[in-house]
Amino acid sequence: MNTKEPIQKILLYIDGSEECIAAAQYAIVLAKKTGAALKGLYVVNVSLLKELTKAKIFVKIEEMDYEQDLAQDGKRYLNYISELARSKGVEIETELVKGVVNKEVVERVQEWGIDLLVMGELNPIQSRTDAYHDEAELIFRKSKCSVLVVKDQDRSEKLFNALEGNL
Amino acid sequence: MRLSGLLSEETITLNLTRSDKKGVIEELLNLAMKTGKVSDRSAALKSVLDREELMSTGLEKGVAVPHAKTSTADGLTMALGVSKEGIDFNSADGKPSHLFFFLLAPESEAGRNVQVLAQIARLTNDSRFCDSLRQARSPEDALDIIRNAE
Repeated sequence: MNTKEPIQKILLYIDGSEECIAAAQYAIVLAKKTGAALKGLYVVNVSLLKELTKAKIFVKIEEMDYEQDLAQDGKRYLNYISELARSKGVEIETELVKGVVNKEVVERVQEWGIDLLVMGELNPIQSRTDAYHDEAELIFRKSKCSVLVVKDQDRSEKLFNALEGNL
Repeated sequence: MRLSGLLSEETITLNLTRSDKKGVIEELLNLAMKTGKVSDRSAALKSVLDREELMSTGLEKGVAVPHAKTSTADGLTMALGVSKEGIDFNSADGKPSHLFFFLLAPESEAGRNVQVLAQIARLTNDSRFCDSLRQARSPEDALDIIRNAE
């Protein structure tokens, strides 16, 4: 491990929220300034879909249909952040995976040797069930590397806009 | 994802008047229309009935979750109906349905739609919650019961 540079591999967690776009802008700025490698990850929450089929709210064909919808959403978001990164001359690798969201993210952090996980602002815990089921909250708590939660959307946007676009 | 944030007193009825499956769905749709977020009633109705054709959303323990994706909904749109007597909704356990969670979602909100349906599944898994909701005295009371459970 190269200890000269504190941040060498950044993982950006994309969940399709407005907050994750601010996180993407911040992560791109960080990658540009530090020279760290940047990866973007979106996880299709298939465990939740299976939960709904088990509860008989979904039928199997519906579960598959929603899985496709969620995967398309994920691809759209990953393409969007790729464009943002490239517009600033930052290389980004993206990956879309399926599974239990917090488990997949935590595993990728380990597998890819990530030293900083960047994610959008956490939603306020509005209910008892939120506390147990909010994936971002679970990722934040379970991640084995340092986590940067990007809070100030306006500042992220300003930093991103101020970044020069050349490689 | 909070159900109480998607419901209001005007989208809750504690006295469903229709006693047939299609009639109940229409009654719930009429409540959902009050949000002003559904642009085409016929298309929305067709989406829900088409979904019911695949398999009834009448679950066990008196709960039904009629739902559909529809381009006629401008955002997640929800209604809640309660029937004290119970309605034959072709439920999974063959018993009458008493609680009806009705949800319309635009295709662009698949993620949030899934979160709301999961929240309904979690809450209705608690028989005390279902019993309380069946005994709600007013739409406001029903909203409080949901808020307290969330």
